[in-house]
Amino acid sequence: MTAPVVNRRPFGRWFREIGWRHVVGVAALIFSLFPVLFIISSSLNASGSLSSSGFFPSEFSLINYRDLLSGEDAPFLSWLWNTMLVAGGAAIANTAIAAFASYAFSRMRFAGRRAGLLSILLIQMFPTTLLFVALFVLVGDIGDIFPGLGLGSRLMLFIIYLGGALGVNTWLIKGYFDTIPRDLDESAIIDGATHAQIFFRVILPLAAPILAVVALITFVFTINEFLVASVVLGQGDAENFTLAVGMFRFVDGQGGEWGQFAAGSVMSGVPVVALFLFLQKYIVSGFTAGAVKG
Amino acid sequence: MPERTSPSSRPSRAGSAAFVGLSLGLVIKVIFLATINATSIWALGRLVPEGVWVGVAFITIATLAIDIVYLAPGRWAIPFRYLLPGTIFLVAFQLYPVVYTASISTTNLGTGNILDKEAAIEQVIATSVGSTESDISYVARAAQSADGTLGLLLTDSRTDPPSHFVGTTEGLTPVDAAAIDFDGDRISEAAGFTALNLGQAADFETQLSELEVPAEEGIIRLQTFSRAALVGFRLQYDDASDTITDVETGTVYSPTEGFFRADDGTRLNPGWEVNVGFDNYRRVFNSEAVRGPFLRVFVWNWAFAAGTVLFSFALGLFLAVSLDHDELKGKRLYRSILIFPYALPSFLTVLVWQGMMNKDFGVINGLLNAEVPWLTDPWMARASLLLVSTWLSFPYFFLVSTGALQSIPSELVEAAKVDGANGPQAFRRVTLPLLLIAVAPLMISSFAFNFNNFNVVFFLNRGGPPIAGAQTPAGSTDILVTYTYRLAFESGRGQDLAFATAISILIFLHIALFSAWGFRKTARLEEI
Repeated sequence: MTAPVVNRRPFGRWFREIGWRHVVGVAALIFSLFPVLFIISSSLNASGSLSSSGFFPSEFSLINYRDLLSGEDAPFLSWLWNTMLVAGGAAIANTAIAAFASYAFSRMRFAGRRAGLLSILLIQMFPTTLLFVALFVLVGDIGDIFPGLGLGSRLMLFIIYLGGALGVNTWLIKGYFDTIPRDLDESAIIDGATHAQIFFRVILPLAAPILAVVALITFVFTINEFLVASVVLGQGDAENFTLAVGMFRFVDGQGGEWGQFAAGSVMSGVPVVALFLFLQKYIVSGFTAGAVKG
Repeated sequence: MPERTSPSSRPSRAGSAAFVGLSLGLVIKVIFLATINATSIWALGRLVPEGVWVGVAFITIATLAIDIVYLAPGRWAIPFRYLLPGTIFLVAFQLYPVVYTASISTTNLGTGNILDKEAAIEQVIATSVGSTESDISYVARAAQSADGTLGLLLTDSRTDPPSHFVGTTEGLTPVDAAAIDFDGDRISEAAGFTALNLGQAADFETQLSELEVPAEEGIIRLQTFSRAALVGFRLQYDDASDTITDVETGTVYSPTEGFFRADDGTRLNPGWEVNVGFDNYRRVFNSEAVRGPFLRVFVWNWAFAAGTVLFSFALGLFLAVSLDHDELKGKRLYRSILIFPYALPSFLTVLVWQGMMNKDFGVINGLLNAEVPWLTDPWMARASLLLVSTWLSFPYFFLVSTGALQSIPSELVEAAKVDGANGPQAFRRVTLPLLLIAVAPLMISSFAFNFNNFNVVFFLNRGGPPIAGAQTPAGSTDILVTYTYRLAFESGRGQDLAFATAISILIFLHIALFSAWGFRKTARLEEI
């Protein structure tokens, strides 16, 4: 924001054309970053309560991180691990399932194709979150017969998330597959490739960008998903919670362990933001194609 | 891509490729199908004895479908090989729950009505221990097993020869006399339980006096250290008349609306799940104390979703226009940092906002040196919620609008200026309409998302502050989905699951109407 341009034109004119944009930009940065900076500051503040957390740490310390990682107040590392397991698994499996379906929708013509695509669009209007009562009763019943899959089971949560694989993701990936020239398929067929070989060796490698975006969006959506996770895991062992369920319970109320909550937020937020920045270019193209995350 | 092969060399290459594909594919296919079938048969073995026919039907059909589609040689089966995995999960965890939600909504399922009738009768009887004691008594000794479990060694002398039992809190187990060590006429050891002498038994006096052994006609309790008696159940179920009778008072309870009720209205808990038809829906529309808050939640839900989209779009667009200038330095830095609110997991950032907006301890009131009731006053709470939800989604519209602006050819704007339009006019008449074509569908999907944005409402303020005088737990910032959640799991009367599903179905119908309208408006479907 230094103004060497002043030499070439008067400050007034520079400000009218460019300078005010920096004012807006800096104001927007402050608005965006205020909670982020506050939580970083809280996490570094030796006194761990909400009331003593100002905008600047009164006494710099890493004690909140140490306390949280010691696991005395909350099994944070288990929550982090569970979240990575469930969200990572859901991202990979959902992307794979959606890619399979998209291949059929994009490359094959069969009875029920149009009806199938329309039903997917219709069904995903009814979000899984609204089904939580039925899922609660259903998972309870399943647990009576298969104890490993009942309420409190992380595996069951993961399986439930697979129910959403055929949704907007399928449309996104199908749209991208449609842009891959069919000449490629045809020349592979002439070379004797089967439909499976075309899918795995021709289409998938070319569709890597959209697959990465879909996987990332599913990953972040699953990390954020609270309702179904809380219904499935909430009554079970706290060791099995995901971050969303665990951190909400941890800070619920007046924020007694605010410092530790802040430290946990920083540790969980950094990897996600890093992923976003890394894939920023692809994500924007995913947005314009209609992806919405939580 | 590999080069096209000449016709003469084609057969051999195609042949070998097919062979490799076949063998590897075949191995994977065989392992895959064998695993699926074995798992299904194992699961069916558990489901059939329990009589869970929905589960049996689902697993049988899914397994047959998999076997047919992956083994059928015809070309027709190929697309379904790619579609089936997703379809199975979709049916199990999206479609079936929708149907199940609808079916729960016509019952009274909830705390107190969660069992089936048989289990409810069993529980009502089993918890109705009376004060009168039957004349059935046992010679008893307190005993303990190797792992420390307390039990009773019982001898029933009414039979000849006497019969012997080991009783624990789990129940009564008959023991064969031949397998028992006797100490005179009393048992000293049986089935892993060793008798305690009086001194040892005295150490466990409290536990022993509370020890209840469930038997068929009542509960067996120690009376002294050497005698136990059967205490009969007060309530008796009569199969023929389907009523429960209190043997002490003579009161008769008959089954009505999920409970056994006496003529004076007293009921026996727990009840069971029964079909109540459309009662839950009638409650929404007929009861003033339910309908009032429901309508307020409904109206606020629309206002919240529309407000969030409008504010985030306005802010995002304003920033996009401001920061989209060729000579502006640091454009990329602005863009990277403005994505933060969107990229960070929202359950964390909303909880942070909740802490910052705390009236007494929050940093915002601390910096302002004021006591603004950000989350405790109904209208302030609504405003705060809109602020936070705008904070969460303006980066999305900023990025999308930036992209859309860059794709609009600059010649169009220049042409408008040549025709005499000033900057604002060119923006409003040329840029904005073109931008809206690209962004409008995204605004609709963002609206649909925010309409059910559970996290921001629930994490910021749990839907509060409460609406005064509401019969159901409705809050001033509640949207339908948080309201439903609170009904289901946090209502004062315990879990009101059935009523919550009725509300879910109303939300579904409402979304269906809204999307039917949306479908008509969009031309997207013509292209597929």
